[in-house]
Amino acid sequence: MDSDRDIPHKEKSLSPMLLAVLANRFDGVVREMTNTMLRTGRSAVINSARDFSCGITTADNELFATAEGLPAHVYGLNLQTAAVCEYHDDIKEGDAYLHNDPYSGNSHPADHTLIVPVFWEGEHLFNVCAKAHQADIGNSIPTTYHAAARDVYEEGALLFPAVRVQRDRETIEDIIRMCQRRIRVPDYWHGDFLSMLGSARTGENRIHDILRKYGKATIKRFATEWFDYSEARMRQAIKKLPAAVIERESFHDPMPPMLPDGIPVRVKLVVDPTVGTIEIDLTSNIDCMNNGLNLSEACSISNSAAGVYNCLPSDIPRNGGSYRCLKLKLRDGSAIGIPRFPHSCSVATTNVSERLLNLVQAALADLGEGYGLAEGGLGMGAGMSVISGRDARHNDHSYVNQLIIGNNGGPASPECDGWVTYGIPVVAGLMYRDSVEINELSYPIHFKEIRLTQDTTGAGFNRGAPGVRITYGPSNHPMTVVFAADAQVNPARGVRGGLDGNVGEMHVVDQYGNRTRAPSVGEIELTKGTWLSGLETSGGGYGDPLLRDPKRVLDDVMERYVSPAYAADVYGVVLKGKIDDETLELDLAATDARRAGMRVSGD
Amino acid sequence: MDQSHTSGWRITVEYGGTFTDVVVADNTGRFVIGKALTTPDRIYVGLKSALISAADTLTLKLPEVLANSDIFIYGTTRATNAIVTGNIAKTAFLTTAGFPDVLVLREGGKFDPHDFSTPYPKPYIARRHTFEINERIDASGDVVTALDKEKTEAVIQLIGERGFEACAVSLLWSTANPKHEKQIGGLIRSLLPDLPFTLSHELNPILREYRRGSSAAIDASIKPLMQTHLRDLESDLRDDGYTGEILVSTTIGGCLDIDSVVERPIHTVRSGPAMGPVAGRRYAELEEQVGAVLVVDMGGTTFDVSLVRDGKISITPETWLGERFTGHMLGIPAVDARSVGAGGGSIAWLDSAGLLHVGPQSAGANPGPACYGLGGLKPTVTDCALVLGYIDPGFFLGGRMQLDVKAAERAIETISGPLGISARAAAFSIFAVSNETMINAIKDITVSEGIDPSEAVIVAGGGAAGLSIVPIARELKCRAVIVPRTASVLSACGMQFSDIQVEQSAAVTTRSDAFDRDAVNQCLDDIDRSLAVFAEKLASRGFDARSTHYRVDAHYAAQVWDIAVDLPASRLESKTLVDQLVETFHANHRRIFSVEDRASPIEFLNWTGRLAIRLPQAKVAASAIDDNGATRMTRTVLFDIDDHREATIVRGDSVSVGELIVGPAIVEEATTTLVIPPGARATLSSADSFLIEWIPEVD
Repeated sequence: MDSDRDIPHKEKSLSPMLLAVLANRFDGVVREMTNTMLRTGRSAVINSARDFSCGITTADNELFATAEGLPAHVYGLNLQTAAVCEYHDDIKEGDAYLHNDPYSGNSHPADHTLIVPVFWEGEHLFNVCAKAHQADIGNSIPTTYHAAARDVYEEGALLFPAVRVQRDRETIEDIIRMCQRRIRVPDYWHGDFLSMLGSARTGENRIHDILRKYGKATIKRFATEWFDYSEARMRQAIKKLPAAVIERESFHDPMPPMLPDGIPVRVKLVVDPTVGTIEIDLTSNIDCMNNGLNLSEACSISNSAAGVYNCLPSDIPRNGGSYRCLKLKLRDGSAIGIPRFPHSCSVATTNVSERLLNLVQAALADLGEGYGLAEGGLGMGAGMSVISGRDARHNDHSYVNQLIIGNNGGPASPECDGWVTYGIPVVAGLMYRDSVEINELSYPIHFKEIRLTQDTTGAGFNRGAPGVRITYGPSNHPMTVVFAADAQVNPARGVRGGLDGNVGEMHVVDQYGNRTRAPSVGEIELTKGTWLSGLETSGGGYGDPLLRDPKRVLDDVMERYVSPAYAADVYGVVLKGKIDDETLELDLAATDARRAGMRVSGD
Repeated sequence: MDQSHTSGWRITVEYGGTFTDVVVADNTGRFVIGKALTTPDRIYVGLKSALISAADTLTLKLPEVLANSDIFIYGTTRATNAIVTGNIAKTAFLTTAGFPDVLVLREGGKFDPHDFSTPYPKPYIARRHTFEINERIDASGDVVTALDKEKTEAVIQLIGERGFEACAVSLLWSTANPKHEKQIGGLIRSLLPDLPFTLSHELNPILREYRRGSSAAIDASIKPLMQTHLRDLESDLRDDGYTGEILVSTTIGGCLDIDSVVERPIHTVRSGPAMGPVAGRRYAELEEQVGAVLVVDMGGTTFDVSLVRDGKISITPETWLGERFTGHMLGIPAVDARSVGAGGGSIAWLDSAGLLHVGPQSAGANPGPACYGLGGLKPTVTDCALVLGYIDPGFFLGGRMQLDVKAAERAIETISGPLGISARAAAFSIFAVSNETMINAIKDITVSEGIDPSEAVIVAGGGAAGLSIVPIARELKCRAVIVPRTASVLSACGMQFSDIQVEQSAAVTTRSDAFDRDAVNQCLDDIDRSLAVFAEKLASRGFDARSTHYRVDAHYAAQVWDIAVDLPASRLESKTLVDQLVETFHANHRRIFSVEDRASPIEFLNWTGRLAIRLPQAKVAASAIDDNGATRMTRTVLFDIDDHREATIVRGDSVSVGELIVGPAIVEEATTTLVIPPGARATLSSADSFLIEWIPEVD
């Protein structure tokens, strides 16, 4: 039956030129939305850290175009636009909706999403979405990540389950006033809201331009073919993988007293190259927890999917088409699956999400040499914490801001070493780093040190990237620092013989230099003269360190990522000469002998 | 020597990776082009043969041309190439203790979240060449930790012992208090008097440690190379008897005397692309086209686009050498000329599911497009232009190179075969997809500057631009297209219209709700003092038509990215003037971002003065007609997948001023080809440019 219908379809199919041109045009729409937001965002989270994403879904709520978006943000946009359609039977041109509800498709409440339906000739064809992490969302404590929240009531965020905020392009000011009353930095929030709105309306105009030029029928045909093309690319890639069933487990660090044993994260992958699908089964995960670390449905899906996309050719379009090859199995009421209200998802996008993403990409390394990735460095420690307080330089004006200045190192891949400014798995290096000078100008903070660490990376044929050591404190009034670190007990794992990354730690250092271990998740207050010092974490290695090219080890020693002793102990590489005068060179004979000996004793 | 010619000629030179272009402008407005292969070992060898070829066209001897000229402006890609290829001096980087990884960690960012096969870029200066200096100054300029003089001396001695050839010093907050950098500068001068070095606060006193540090590192690292390069050129020119002024073109689209450039060679980086909009602005003025002007320069491998708005060339603080995020940031203000990998050499390919892509891979000049017959087998945009009938295989480069149509068709069949379409349809498809890359590049620059392309005219230069610029302009709904007949050497022409320009910045942070007029005016005094050094030096040589303009980088408090605002006066003497500045900021913010926030204080950060010294302007006149009334031929040309037309073929040198050429038509020049599709028409202006406009549609 299908084949009968296929014939007229084939005749009407778009020319190869039009398919390529329109793909480019829709990508261009998302890029223009992204640029608009990057330039207009008020809060540092948007315009400096780039913690936002733009995308387009179809009117029947398939993810359509996502250029340059953060993986953690974009895969759920289709769930959010579906919520708009479900909750409203009077959607019309000129509407805009605010959505941040993790129980109906959002990632976590801090990610406000502006959704605009796009109409043409009276028909609802697309939705454009602009999603941005807010500087504050009115939580009960001054952070957008409330790990200890027993439930949404303790968490305290204002939730907007697809609430209409514009009709006929006029803003419904009631909603604005509610937010401005409740959110700690109302100006930032409103600035970011306008930025999202501007971005979405830009997207709407550009899609109208395309429709005006090419007509509705062509664009609908394009959407169908673009999904089919994306699916074909994905299926081809999966068909090249070996068949396998892989089960794997990892643990988010313990968080005493809340979670003394940590959080187990489990996945079962079924790779079926005959049909070209990967099943991702998360149903064996634990029930929802009485804290803010539960994943939303969007995060469960997006981070599993991102783990897979990370291991496939990176030019496969990320949309509803390629998505058809992924079969997700989620359980209702699970902490890693579909959350049950009122369990909190305040920290859904980072900690457990990072573990899930790492777990999936590392599991794929079990397929064999050349597949999968190591785990990336993780946790929002000192360098990604939320600082708040009052600034004596500006009449004690209050401030709150997430730092994006520390760094966990990226995972080793089959092709190369880890990416240095990786950050955390869910942003994978996309975010911008703050400048020390701009931070010290904007907030009453003083940095003592930010340096990449030595001998910390997961060694391997390819090694992980190192994390940094970062130390800072307030420059006048006391400063509250809220963080949610990880990998202070369970490091990022290496794969295929690659070693694990380092274990992170944080200390409070007083004026006499006494060091007190800080909890990995929590809130501390620093007074002037006391410092928070964090050792951030590195990525895991890929493959056997004894197989790493000795020349690359020599280069790592010259560049001080690895000490000569570590080069000998872990890589079996023997060097002679000195680093300082650049006379250091390989002793190849000694290296061969040492490596042979290590292999024997290793067996 | 023949003294009968009136002096006042101008020679401009663009030293490129492959060719050295020369433009000689005489005092009647005639522009003569000379071209020769670049000779990297001694620039003057290639330059001299290009000069001789221009002199030949003028039927003069080289000494006569040199004697008639009183201004010589030199643009070079030498510094850019050295930086991109890492062929730089062994440079030490001195930084505040605790922050050794400023050049490694940079500002983050990456294009593709799912790409794990791209290695992390190496820092511009190796970590082992980075030295931490015990000292710290804070945001208010107070010394937190005094400079450890003893240890610093030890570091400098070590630098001397280890054979470093240059040194860059960039300390945190040196912009707020340069004391420690100055002390280090003094120590270097006394301990290693011959070591070239750069202090970040002197070169580029802006906030953001990576950008300032990167600019200092780049500047120091090319000092030995560029000093030799420029001094050699100077002495070779003098040896051949040239006695006029020698100027060097710069990153901000101006030029500077050779001594100043030798002190700060970073200002020569990307001066070539910076000259495109200088030329474009002038050509648009000559056609009386005001408002927004987009200037594009398209060659074999790259497409550069820049923007001129109300006569002002857009400047950006963010210029990457190499790819964004993986290259190195220049760190100093530069003409905003954005490059994408698209050109005549871009290669078409199909991915595993049959989607057509063009570029970013390029066949370059060697083997080049398949039709060159030099061994290239892959289909390029130039091959498509040939198969579509845009290029006459017998009149490429004025007939100096015969093109192989069969080879082009064979290459295109590798695309058309799998797609099941004709070779001509595939050629058109490749052409259209290639245009998309350029359309995107133009959209990116207009979006970030808040310009609607439909308000703009396009000035197109570069050898390949005429092939596709008219359909691109039509897609963007631009008002008109200007293609100067000297389009193939846009940068060298830009220098003909450039002035001496020098900028000096200083960082003084103040807010609109507590504006410190005294501090700002004092900082403007400082800027003027350092600009006066240049002004006086040049005035003593007779260049005294000078003016200074001031701007400031500012943002709403808690925003991070700045926009530039022009100052309403040379000093902010009154509250009224400060209010005017604040209003201008709101207006610019609204234009670029379509919102403003009057409730927020504005933070002002980096103040810049730009000194401009007017040079005598080159005139432009129409070229002589060599071949008036030559027979017009026609050729079958493809303007859409199913749209074959007989197009009029016009030799450029047969067109007279004011003559109307109605599309479909093709104007063939020795160095470029202009395709005029149906619906467009072109006229040759008295300023020697083709002006292309749309024929109003009749229903």
